[in-house]
Amino acid sequence: MFRKIAVAAGLMAAAIAGPAQAQDYPAKPIEFIVPWGPGGGSDTLMRLVAAGLAEETGKAVPVINMPGVGGNVGLAEFANRPADGYTISQIHEGLLISNGTGITELNWDSFMPIALLTSSPQYLTLSKNDNFSTFEEMVAYAKEHPGAVRAGVTLAGVPHLHMAMIEDAFGIQFSYVGYEGTGQRIRALVGGNIDIAIGDVSSAGQFVENGDLIFAAVGMPERTAEEPDVRTFKELGKDLDLAVTRGVVLPKGTPQDIADALEANLEKVMQNEDVRTKIQNVGSAPVFLGQEEYKTYLGKLSDTVNRLVGKLAG
Amino acid sequence: MLDAFLAGAHQVFAFDTLIYMLIGSIAGIVAAAIPGFTVTMAIILTLPLTFAMDPLQGVSVMLSVYVGGYTGGLISAALLGIPGTPSSVATTFDAFPMARGGEPGRALSLGVWASFFGTVISTVILIVAAPPLALIAVKLGPWEYFSLIVFALTIVASLVGNSLMRGLIAGVIGLGLATVGPDPMMGRPRLTFDSAILMPGLPFLIVLIGIFAISQLMGEVEDDGKSENKGALIPDVIEFKTWSVMREVLMHPVNLVRSSLIGVFIGALPGAGGSIANLLAYDQAKRSSKTPEEFGKGTADGVIASEAGNSATAGGGLIPMIALGIPGSAVDAILMAALMVHGISVGPRLIMDHPDLAYGMFVAMVVASLMMLVVCVLSMRLFLRVTDIPKQFIVPTVMICCVIGAFALNNRVSDLYLLGAIGLVGYGLKSLDYPLAPLVLGVILGPIAETNLRRALMSDGDWTVFFTRPISAVLLVAALLSVIFSVRSVLKMRKKDRPATDEQDGD
Repeated sequence: MFRKIAVAAGLMAAAIAGPAQAQDYPAKPIEFIVPWGPGGGSDTLMRLVAAGLAEETGKAVPVINMPGVGGNVGLAEFANRPADGYTISQIHEGLLISNGTGITELNWDSFMPIALLTSSPQYLTLSKNDNFSTFEEMVAYAKEHPGAVRAGVTLAGVPHLHMAMIEDAFGIQFSYVGYEGTGQRIRALVGGNIDIAIGDVSSAGQFVENGDLIFAAVGMPERTAEEPDVRTFKELGKDLDLAVTRGVVLPKGTPQDIADALEANLEKVMQNEDVRTKIQNVGSAPVFLGQEEYKTYLGKLSDTVNRLVGKLAG
Repeated sequence: MLDAFLAGAHQVFAFDTLIYMLIGSIAGIVAAAIPGFTVTMAIILTLPLTFAMDPLQGVSVMLSVYVGGYTGGLISAALLGIPGTPSSVATTFDAFPMARGGEPGRALSLGVWASFFGTVISTVILIVAAPPLALIAVKLGPWEYFSLIVFALTIVASLVGNSLMRGLIAGVIGLGLATVGPDPMMGRPRLTFDSAILMPGLPFLIVLIGIFAISQLMGEVEDDGKSENKGALIPDVIEFKTWSVMREVLMHPVNLVRSSLIGVFIGALPGAGGSIANLLAYDQAKRSSKTPEEFGKGTADGVIASEAGNSATAGGGLIPMIALGIPGSAVDAILMAALMVHGISVGPRLIMDHPDLAYGMFVAMVVASLMMLVVCVLSMRLFLRVTDIPKQFIVPTVMICCVIGAFALNNRVSDLYLLGAIGLVGYGLKSLDYPLAPLVLGVILGPIAETNLRRALMSDGDWTVFFTRPISAVLLVAALLSVIFSVRSVLKMRKKDRPATDEQDGD
């Protein structure tokens, strides 16, 4: 009897001590809260990352979609989960904008940013229309007719921010039409119901190839491998960085050694050729920024958002 | 083209693909049959499995889940009076009375055959006319969508049951419920009273499960003891008459084709989908019927219209996806993701760049609908066993499934409180003889109408555009005619009734 109790006590002690020790991490499945609905960009990319992480750690990484209020329902739930490394989540530019426009109290620094994993280059995409067919023509037309160019965006979302950055940089003014998701915007663009939109290669590339749409510029520091003929905003005179970047975060207060272990695991995942290929296949670039670099990146991004947020709240 | 067709067929007819598809078909049917579990959920669970398969194999499996899922909802709709999926709301109107009237086998068989023919008709249209139809669909702007929804709202008149007034009130309650939560454009909270529970809004599926399932189940509990057939939900069993029912379905060719065309059209419009198609098809069948008073009491036409209509949206939804790479629904978006992960870019060039894949998907649709048919016909006896289970077991079990399904939708505990509250409201309304379908219709259509109205006015502040764009104008005229028609038929009925009965109700 006594021995049984001793054994049980020992097991319990081990169980308590277990999760805190980074060399054992992960000792059990890791829940991955994706605060967006199934089928979207975040969901697809994070399922690929989750599959890679499961392969790397040998533990299951079930993806749990918790959509609602632009990602904030899932993140609010995530913020209340135990900070033990067994629940992870994902953020992108949208969180910073929601915070800036007052939709949520949460911000990027409400969490521990662990690693930035994917970056999806965004293209300014033009419809086939009679008024303009290049970036310069569009700017000239918009200067002559303020508000006449209809831009399809997710209102108070990332594309809205990107458009506001373009307006701000080139001193022009669009009128905004709200659409949810890149697919809807591209459809409206092809149907001629809007004039410009932010698109990406996976949703708009084939329309461009077909001549139905035009990629006017890409918001990356350098031209992309997929569309080498499309000029960057830098070449057009303004250094704009328009990308949707997705990274993994932990709840605040997670032990540092757990965070480091997760970072190391994710770095290995992002070196996995299969994962890299699949991420590229869905139109994103696999990247890796560790904790410190990711925090710096988010801090800079936050400044841009705060500067332009007045334009988005309308 | 023939080469591509054969190449695609060759891949679909591989032994392992067929086995996976069979499993997918069963999974889709079962998931849809359980109230609260959705086809989307079943497809998400399939997605990671397809990462390891060939692209066409993966998509074929998902298509079989998809096609099975559009039929499975019929089972609980007919046997329990609870729509298994949003697409089978109208199925409950006639399949359930038919099953309760002692013909559950016939109700199921009718639905299965109508689903089968609906899928096949939609696939044929998909094969012959996908590119031109997709081009039309993509031209439709927010003006056309809004006018379409206005037209769809007029079908409330067909769903009101005994009292026009109560039906309209239920519809308005539905439209009101749909405004709770973040507004669809800016994400600003509305009518949430700063409560964390209401913050994400009232998800449509939670309302659907709460309104239909909870109220129906409570009704069952209430009935117990009063009814003769204590215990089982449906009395004696049961003849299927599979082949004679097939003939019966084919004897309604106009209804079958019209309902399928409605399904294809609605399915091809991104964002609408099966939850609207079944109600529209039912409404049109009722209006053009010589015996509209039979609808709602267990008429074959009602079952056929609803099931053919919702199943045809499967093929319809693939039209913009295959022709243009634009998903028609969440399910189509997941299908696209499954292809893209394999490095196949889905867009207007898919048919040119990967003809074997496109044609393989057509073949897979046909195979999937055949599998659905075989699985359903063979397992119908098993489904009917459900009705032998005494109520004290079946009611709690279904209730638990509803709760689990409601949670699994968004993984939010707060949704369960909403489910309970909405269930009570639904039960209350039902007890007061309010029809529930108009309420659900309001919840479905409200946000689509709002989004497109705001979008239209953001694109162009001029209201007259609604009348100057031809398709939009036609839809608005159709809406007007629909209202006139309904008012006339109400007046006519009233005239007919007046000599015989003293009217108690103002309508």
